[in-house]
Amino acid sequence: MIPKELVAASAEALILSLLAKGESYGYAIIQEVRARSNDHLQWTDGMLYPVLHRMENNGWIKSRWAESENGRKRKYYSLKKDGKAALSEQRAQWMKVHDVLTELWGKKYA
Amino acid sequence: MPDLEEQIAAWRRQMLAAGIKTPVPLDELESHLRDEMEQQVRSGLSAPEAFETAVQRIGHANAIKTEFKKVTNVKTLRPGKLLGIACGVIACSFSLMILRTLVTAHEPSLAARMLGLAAVATAILSWRYNHKFLPVILNQRTRTGIGLACCLLASAWMALLIQFILPNLVVVPAGSEMSVGRVLNVLLWAMTFAAVLGSIAYGLEKVTHKQPQLVDS
Repeated sequence: MIPKELVAASAEALILSLLAKGESYGYAIIQEVRARSNDHLQWTDGMLYPVLHRMENNGWIKSRWAESENGRKRKYYSLKKDGKAALSEQRAQWMKVHDVLTELWGKKYA
Repeated sequence: MPDLEEQIAAWRRQMLAAGIKTPVPLDELESHLRDEMEQQVRSGLSAPEAFETAVQRIGHANAIKTEFKKVTNVKTLRPGKLLGIACGVIACSFSLMILRTLVTAHEPSLAARMLGLAAVATAILSWRYNHKFLPVILNQRTRTGIGLACCLLASAWMALLIQFILPNLVVVPAGSEMSVGRVLNVLLWAMTFAAVLGSIAYGLEKVTHKQPQLVDS
């Protein structure tokens, strides 16, 4: 299991990356992160929403309430222009960390 | 066994009691709870079991509230931003009044009017784009200090303008001439200077909070 500090640090980059693929909502975001990480990245579900609200306050994402296929209302999030810029910056930062670690560990782990 | 809707209502009350008071996060959390319950029922759990699992996965109300509180604090505790906005609003209000006089008065030339419009455009562009050129200052005290200094300088500048510069513009010495257009432009550019100072205080907060928070501030 990935420690909570690393899970927290990667949360914004993961959310931005998922929303770059298209509009989504909290539950779907959590399910997709779980599936893509083979359950290694586990968030406490409720903790996702303060992160989404902070990102919305930052002007990275926007939200709208809409009716889902089952008739209930859901809050959908999508990426804004500033969110795309934040994603580029975060991607560059994570790639730098990745490059340093790959170089240190050698080709075996690349 | 209590009805499932009653259980959800009880869960909402628990969340409310813990302090998640605003309706938006609570409605969103309830929507999530219902999604998770539907998924668990599809996986074969009974409705009460699905409810228990969904509640556990959402997490403790107090922990969620603490995280939401951090968001609220980030949103509200920005004195530099507030001071900058106050400065900008005051300077821009005066600017618009002066610009109106400049545009409607008969005396000013076209060049004087264009110069006045340029002053207002400079103020607007500064508010819209200066955050792109300002540095990220992670220390909030430093940011607030710089913002406060900008606003004090803007206030001092306005006081200087009203006390000394404006009377000298209005009372023209005998033999010299000061056109209405020139007086209004001096005032407009003076207001633009104050508005730009306000925009720096605001922009420093904006650029810092737009930056990904991978490092503790």
